[in-house]
Amino acid sequence: MLTPWKSTARSRELLLILVGRNLKIRYKNSALGFFWTLLGPLLLILIYALFLRVLRFPIRLPVLVTGIIVWQFHAMCLGDSLHAIVGNANLVKKTALPRIVFPAAMVTANLVNFLLSFAVLCIYLAIVRADFGAVYWLPVIVLSQAALCLGVSLIVSCANVFFRDTEHILSVVLLGWFFLTPVIYPISLVVEAFPRWVHVLFFLNPMTGIVTAYRGVLLSAGSGGVPFLGLSFGVAWLFLAGGLAVFQSFQARFSDEL
Amino acid sequence: MSGNEAAIAAEGLGKRYRLRGSASRSLKSAALDLVTGRSRGRRDFWALRGVNFVVRRGETLGIIGANGAGKSTLLALLAGTTAPTEGRVTTRGAISSLLELGAGFHPDLTGRENVFLAGAIMGLSRRQMRARLDAVVSFAGIEPFLDQPVRHYSSGMYVRLGFAVAVEVDPDILLIDEVLAVGDADFQRKCLARMKEFKDSGKTMLIISHDLPTIGSISDRILLLEEGRVRGLGDPGEVVETYRSLSRRKTAEGRAREWGTGEVRITGVGLRDETGAVSERFRLDGALEARIAWRAAQRIENPVFGFAISDADGRVIHGSNTQIAGFALAGLEGEGRLCLRIEPLTLAAGTYLLSFSVHSADHRRNYHRLDNRFAIAVESDKTFDGCVDMHSEWRCDEE
Repeated sequence: MLTPWKSTARSRELLLILVGRNLKIRYKNSALGFFWTLLGPLLLILIYALFLRVLRFPIRLPVLVTGIIVWQFHAMCLGDSLHAIVGNANLVKKTALPRIVFPAAMVTANLVNFLLSFAVLCIYLAIVRADFGAVYWLPVIVLSQAALCLGVSLIVSCANVFFRDTEHILSVVLLGWFFLTPVIYPISLVVEAFPRWVHVLFFLNPMTGIVTAYRGVLLSAGSGGVPFLGLSFGVAWLFLAGGLAVFQSFQARFSDEL
Repeated sequence: MSGNEAAIAAEGLGKRYRLRGSASRSLKSAALDLVTGRSRGRRDFWALRGVNFVVRRGETLGIIGANGAGKSTLLALLAGTTAPTEGRVTTRGAISSLLELGAGFHPDLTGRENVFLAGAIMGLSRRQMRARLDAVVSFAGIEPFLDQPVRHYSSGMYVRLGFAVAVEVDPDILLIDEVLAVGDADFQRKCLARMKEFKDSGKTMLIISHDLPTIGSISDRILLLEEGRVRGLGDPGEVVETYRSLSRRKTAEGRAREWGTGEVRITGVGLRDETGAVSERFRLDGALEARIAWRAAQRIENPVFGFAISDADGRVIHGSNTQIAGFALAGLEGEGRLCLRIEPLTLAAGTYLLSFSVHSADHRRNYHRLDNRFAIAVESDKTFDGCVDMHSEWRCDEE
């Protein structure tokens, strides 16, 4: 029998290989390769700068771009999670390795990507002289977002094994989730327009708290609703617990269903 | 650690699959199931049931059986890629497996990366794996393609790499599903030599193969599966013979037909070889004796008994009857026995089907016919083309 230590070491090695593969595949056959990770957010900032100038949307560019880049991490994870198990059918059917390494590797690869985009974002924010706040909270925020992503990804990757409708449902859910999260509008808009109990509902969405927290830390902006931040973060970790429970109870059937 | 410690134990092992009407499940069908409270178009299928066996450490167990007998399911359960529906499997030691033609490779990873992935799955570190890389690559013979994604590999390369990795990761137990069926003769020889080496090093091995002579020679014991159940477990020679006899009977079942008007019935046919022993296995140039028991419901004048030998596909190779042979039977009444002797038997090694019949002298009335009812095996060491051995001689023709 494997000792717990050996089992962890084994999983870590596996995770490293799979994360490496995920990152490598993303930029395969592209001329600029890895530079897209840095170029992507730069172009994104440029396009939104143009967009804001033309449309006069009621949001400042740094606030908007922060929201978009944070949301991208979330959306990419969920999109990729569809294929985390189904796309690795060969390995799932032929090896007895712990199935959780597939979604975990996928989220980790996206996290690496996000951190690079995030670095670009921070450089941009420094250039425009953004008002950085309590940046020492960043590890907690990033970790909580990763936990949320993994939790939801576990559920989605599992569901897609059993129901191929998941893909269509997910695209609708993601769209709704996007507009319910203060990504392209500041949280202050919600705070000013609605009574207190609606704020609670808004912060039940873990992404609301996460996006607001990033903005609070990086821009010292949108600190309205801070009393409910804890609620969002609690829900994020609950998602992880729920995702693990769902995944655990269904993973034994994966190889039969694929 | 004693030598007969169990490496693998299966107790009451069963695996049920749910077969569905449509290939993939939709939310709609799941919702319908929920509403109607039953499963639509669903069938339960036990791929394996009530399987018990123990494999001792250092033992090589061969697994044989027809397609769909549950061999691959059994190996998947032992490898832990799928969970049993009932019963349990206990294994002791690190398991490496090569299931259903090919290892668990990731198509997008290169050959080299997949080797390391396989190592990581087995719990070997990068350094340990690097030390083994050369052995894997030279065994698989894929050196020029090592840094290509395995999706571009030919099926032969894929299997070769799979086998090489499965063996080189240094497992305690090796599970192999049909490697001998793929790859060229040269690779098969290499595989076999490597498997023997593995066996000699005291490791446990389970092999599935349709190559009966090979599996019979390498295994210590053989497990025969038929429709998900154990039909035999023990001495390779005996179990292989049970399997051969089983598949002969299957061949006959598919082509057998019994019909006739019934005035005379063939109530039994006993087949014996040249030693007089009841058998369904005969030797080239040996004898085949058929004792045909009959019963007549009424008196029948001038009956004719016939026989035919067909190959496994049902093509008649030889047929004759008492009329052709000039063996006149005046009339039948009550019960009796008739004896047919074929000697020497000049058939090539293989499976054949025997037919027997009794009919009227003018062939108008078929009293009773047993078409392709008895399957026999002919064994021989002699090789020649075709299914009949003809006496032939060569000489130099000098004018």
